Amino acid sequence: MNPFLEIKNVSYSYMKNTAQQVNAVNNVSLGIDRGEMVGIIGHTGSGKSTLVSLFNGLLKPSLGTVYVDGKDIWENKETLRESRFNVGLCFQYPEYQLFEETVRKDIAFGPKNMKLDDAEIERRVLRAAELAGVKPKHLDVSPFDISGGEKRRAAIAGVMAMEPDMLVLDEPAAGLDPRGRSDLIEMIKQYRERTGSAVVLVSHSMEDIARATERVIVINNGEIALDGSVDYVFAHEEELKSMGLNIPEVTKVFHRLKELGFDVPPDVYSVDRAVDILTSLAERRKSDGK
Amino acid sequence: MREKLIEIKNVSYSYYTDGEEEATASPALSDINLDIFKGEFVAVLGHNGSGKSTLAKLCNAIFEPSTGTVTVDGITSDSEENGDAIRRKVGMVFQNPDNQIVATIVEDDVAFGPENLGVDPAEIRRRVDSALKDVNMYDMRDREPHNLSGGQKQRVAIAGVIAMQTECIVLDEPTAMLDPMGRAEVMNTIKRMNKEMGITVILVTHFMEEAVQADRVIVMDSGRIIADDTPSNIFSDIEMLKAHSLSVPEPTELCLRLGIKETVLDTDSCVRAISSYLGGDMT
Repeated sequence: MNPFLEIKNVSYSYMKNTAQQVNAVNNVSLGIDRGEMVGIIGHTGSGKSTLVSLFNGLLKPSLGTVYVDGKDIWENKETLRESRFNVGLCFQYPEYQLFEETVRKDIAFGPKNMKLDDAEIERRVLRAAELAGVKPKHLDVSPFDISGGEKRRAAIAGVMAMEPDMLVLDEPAAGLDPRGRSDLIEMIKQYRERTGSAVVLVSHSMEDIARATERVIVINNGEIALDGSVDYVFAHEEELKSMGLNIPEVTKVFHRLKELGFDVPPDVYSVDRAVDILTSLAERRKSDGK
Repeated sequence: MREKLIEIKNVSYSYYTDGEEEATASPALSDINLDIFKGEFVAVLGHNGSGKSTLAKLCNAIFEPSTGTVTVDGITSDSEENGDAIRRKVGMVFQNPDNQIVATIVEDDVAFGPENLGVDPAEIRRRVDSALKDVNMYDMRDREPHNLSGGQKQRVAIAGVIAMQTECIVLDEPTAMLDPMGRAEVMNTIKRMNKEMGITVILVTHFMEEAVQADRVIVMDSGRIIADDTPSNIFSDIEMLKAHSLSVPEPTELCLRLGIKETVLDTDSCVRAISSYLGGDMT
């Protein structure tokens, strides 16, 4: 079966055919299945935001083809329109794009564009608000009267209300405090479990990527540098560093301990798991008389 | 003796909209007392809405306190004129690199501040060159800012403050929008400014790994200062930090939860502490 999203030999250049031409995406091919939870990492300017803008036709590839649900999205107006609804894109600081009189109207903007009837729009607004953690009492207030974190959730709900088969979030937790960040990442994991929608998470936080995703795609110089499981990608510490990236701090500690000869696994991404492993290792070593 | 640079005395601050009485608005800051000393590197932590950005904006007289006084190097921020004088001493760098670059060429952007201060052109040239060298952006002095990475843009913004020869720089979440390398570049620049050039640094951040690099950490919640101490004392109190929506760096949390007494703040000391916890190294 074909993947839900399939990108074949896609390139994209800014300022094409000028002296300043920048090849932001270079001959990239990749597929993402329905229901997958994928992380995309890459330094600023690596081409990752350009890449995700190609997923639903916000940008037109200079070369190559993008298929959503088996259809070439650039085939005609209808396929392009469908791809916009099937792949929901939520950009960095999406709360800057809130504009309606009430939160409810803002969330309804996407479904309204889909020409759904009022009852269906209402159903979707309530469901998306619930999924995104927008408080019911906030639905009828102005989006400018709620806090920054609440605005962020309202904006994300607006994309969820289109009920896309794939939700793409570019740095959804940027600028949030540690609690806000972990709550938001948890909300996204829940969203994926409850809806079965594919989720693509673009982030500079290696901790969030390790915690939330199952597959990681690393973009460097407009190309896919690594693509595999979280374990596979974060085993490449030196390569990631050379690309301006990193691995989670706790994982780094385990890599160092392993280098020192301790019998610890390399694939540890959470402090909880680290504590379990080290406590039982300490007990084992004690009982071995070491 | 340590010399005070910024003195915040009984300061409260309220945002209020037209028509709303000042007294009814909930205060962003309540009765803050705080001294910042010359040459210090102070990190300010707090969840979104805790009042830390408001505090930052009081330090360089973008805001005047609703009640109480803010004094910078003997100047009180209670008039336009004094505000100008304070901003010559305390510069500010904001979160979004794209909102604070004004010129179309890197070196022109750095020159913007000193030009506004009426500095002599030859002196501006000298200051711009030296500030760009301080932030390692001299080789890119004739680039267009929009072609730079986020970390490079933030370093240009910092150079702009250095070129004004301020005594203190306040940075409000300068790395929130940057990738890991950009964050490291900016942090290295901040530390160099502080240690080598003696510039006082106030860093507002959500990244605990950045706060551990300061000399002193201030924790805010609901417009009040909750804690004010060294990084090792602050980060040994996970419960306090979590109660205020904050966290501790992963290596620190790991060692604390293993019952390791010493507070570790970085990966290297964490590895050393765990080696001895496990009964010495293997070699």
